[in-house]
Amino acid sequence: MNPVNYLYLAALLFTIGASGVVIRRNAIVLFMCVELMLNASNLALVTFSRLHGNLDGQILAFFTMVVAAAEVVVGLAIIVSIFRTRHSASVDDSNLMKL
Amino acid sequence: MIATHALAAAGGNSPSIPAPHIEYGQLSPMLVVFGAALVGILAEAFLPRRLRAATQLGISLAGLVGGFVAVVVLAAQGHASTRAGLLAMGSVAIDGPALFLQGVILLTAVLAVLTYAEGRLEPRINGHRIDAFAAQAAAVPGGEQEREATREGLRTTEIYPLTLFAVGGMLLFPASNDLLTMFVALEVLSLPLYLMCAIARRRRLLSQEAAVKYFLLGAFASAFFLFGTALLYGYAGSLRLGEIADVVSGVAPVTPALAVTTQNDALLLIGLAMVSVGLLFKVGAVPFHSWTPDVYQGAPTPVTGFMAAATKTAAFGALLRLFYVAFPGIRWDWRPVMWGVAILTMVVGSILAVTQQDVKRLLAYSSIAHAGFILTGLIATDRRGVAAVLFYLLAYSFVTLGAFAVVTLVRDSKGEATHLSSWAGLGRRSPLLAAVFALFLLAFAGIPLTSGFTGKFAVFQAAAGGGAAPLVIVGVLSSAIAAFFYIRVIVLMFFSDPQPSGPAVAVPSALTATTIAFGVLVTLGLGLLPQYFLDLATKASIFIR
Amino acid sequence: MSTLLAAAGSLEPAARSYLSPTGQEIVFLLVGVLVLGAAVVSVTTRQLVHAALWLVVALGGLAVEFLLLTAEFVAWVQVLVYLGSVVVLVLFGLMLTRAPIGRSPDADSGNRPAALAVGAASAATLVTLVVDAFRSSWIDLSGPAGTTRLTGEFLFSHWVLPFEALSVLLLAALVGAIVLSRAKGDGTKPRPGNLRTVLTKTKER
Repeated sequence: MNPVNYLYLAALLFTIGASGVVIRRNAIVLFMCVELMLNASNLALVTFSRLHGNLDGQILAFFTMVVAAAEVVVGLAIIVSIFRTRHSASVDDSNLMKL
Repeated sequence: MIATHALAAAGGNSPSIPAPHIEYGQLSPMLVVFGAALVGILAEAFLPRRLRAATQLGISLAGLVGGFVAVVVLAAQGHASTRAGLLAMGSVAIDGPALFLQGVILLTAVLAVLTYAEGRLEPRINGHRIDAFAAQAAAVPGGEQEREATREGLRTTEIYPLTLFAVGGMLLFPASNDLLTMFVALEVLSLPLYLMCAIARRRRLLSQEAAVKYFLLGAFASAFFLFGTALLYGYAGSLRLGEIADVVSGVAPVTPALAVTTQNDALLLIGLAMVSVGLLFKVGAVPFHSWTPDVYQGAPTPVTGFMAAATKTAAFGALLRLFYVAFPGIRWDWRPVMWGVAILTMVVGSILAVTQQDVKRLLAYSSIAHAGFILTGLIATDRRGVAAVLFYLLAYSFVTLGAFAVVTLVRDSKGEATHLSSWAGLGRRSPLLAAVFALFLLAFAGIPLTSGFTGKFAVFQAAAGGGAAPLVIVGVLSSAIAAFFYIRVIVLMFFSDPQPSGPAVAVPSALTATTIAFGVLVTLGLGLLPQYFLDLATKASIFIR
Repeated sequence: MSTLLAAAGSLEPAARSYLSPTGQEIVFLLVGVLVLGAAVVSVTTRQLVHAALWLVVALGGLAVEFLLLTAEFVAWVQVLVYLGSVVVLVLFGLMLTRAPIGRSPDADSGNRPAALAVGAASAATLVTLVVDAFRSSWIDLSGPAGTTRLTGEFLFSHWVLPFEALSVLLLAALVGAIVLSRAKGDGTKPRPGNLRTVLTKTKER
């Protein structure tokens, strides 16, 4: 079977996720967009893993999932703590900060 | 190939798998640091609160110094040169650059941890020492709970094990010999840093905002790193840097799949570009720098110092290994892009620094400019380039750490006084401190007789030798711009009148004093007698494959 | 849509051995369209909780795609870790930060056109890249691959050190999250949970 369709799907998902990061304002939804990007990478990795006939890609996909789980824990801890400080989780509100 | 072989072997129904070979001795720097982190967590769980701070400091120092001793012993045994090799089934490389950078990271971390423990900068509350970290990170700022926690003298001593975790990741990062290990190391060093940014004692909202920003942009950048890794894996069929290099240069045996994937270089180039985005984000190169000023400003200053010095060292180590081990074969493709990034980074960093009014933001932009200077060394693509980058990182780490340690000392009633206007006339009020800070600024500017000069000279010489003369001209020009704002701060400190309600200079304990003294010593030492360290960096400049 | 997912899901176990290549491609196509659609809705909807729920659909669809690629282990880890914990945590996060149920007018940062342009450009690049590189390649799905046993053996014979580093990462994340979220007095009982505090505050509003 031709892997090209899987790679299309991975590429499109990655772009959707990346555009989402630009569009969205809510910190948690931003993080969800990043998750989408990670998943796109996983799909590409698994497809390439089948293409090359070795398991390295699938192992990395598994590692990514664990990393994502750790990331979500850390991210939510930070976001919830700032929310308690400020009662809003909107990223553009960073009033004290300028770029 | 190993992988297909393993698939075939594993197809049988053998009851056990072949045990992997792990060289515990050669991995000891990382193992010692991670072990110390685990001991630290146990101490956090079982020791009574009043003993924790001192114990944690002791455990951290023991772990970091132990790791450094292990690095020195390994280097003395020749693992940096003749006995360099791959460890842990090819996941980790032990060679000159890895050991040199691990040594730098460990020394930096020792000094940073000393500044963490500083408790004399503010008057005691209820007999309890006050440090730079929130009494209780979970309490709402300004709330009753926080006041109570401060009264009780609670301290966030978990900062020590978190730092050790980050240091462990940083030790692994420049030594990782495949993209998978590099990704895991990147996350191991990043996640604790995101958390550590969020627990400043003063200006907590700023600190938490810095953490959110750092976290979201960091996660975004690592997603790019990962997709790039996927594309490179698709191109080469392997995650090992050495095997990727073989495929790139056409040495590897061609499988049917490789025959298809290597037809098209776009896969390789876009993959490399995306992986580089992830790494350039960590070093704070333009245009991936937007997090740097906010995070440096918001994080607790001791953490900022640690982050600025050690993260940059680790990330440049990984960047060097990626480009020098896996992609020397296509240097004509990536060098022009890195030229652009280096020029942008130097120019933007220097120019934006001129407009800053806050010392921490100023140092942040200065660190961006320095990332550009270091990139010029990377572009040289030869041994001298590697040696120059290694030396620059050594010099830069200690100056940065010292400068941020000085920033912690200038205080008013609201904590650190970081606005530049309050630094006016500091030279009259506290000549010694102002002189020390001036020395660090001169080193940043690259004035002769300081380590900054030697480092800049080394990278520019390497870049010129590597055929990047225009880059050197841009580098020298932006150094001149940078020197302007460093000198401006020095003039402000020595030749303007102090404000009547200006900040006071706190008298540090031996902890911070040691850090600053060490910074001064290394700055002058590498400026006056650089030869030994230049030789060391040159000896350590060969990557193993 | 979700019934479609269920239908695709019921095909999964058979997909590897019994479906003809065309059958696989049909399932791929249906699930792929579902995943893309769910992803687009997830990043554009103004209802934040819906965004998380559509993310579940997208990630679940990806698990099916992994199964079609005979990556069983990865597929089940995807279900367990992503659907089972990550999305649940995200939903908790949305609740704890009091995300409005319903439309939130300020969900977008207002740079949709820019995002659209950037997205279209990068999608075009990546897709042409894929077309160029893989027009003629072929995967043979008949061999065994990606079973839990093989993956485990491969993991523990080649990637032990990163795996251990990963366990350290989880521990660090755990410790850090506790630091940031657990408020406790000295030796006294833990204070009322943060969840309750937030909920009572919500009521007050």
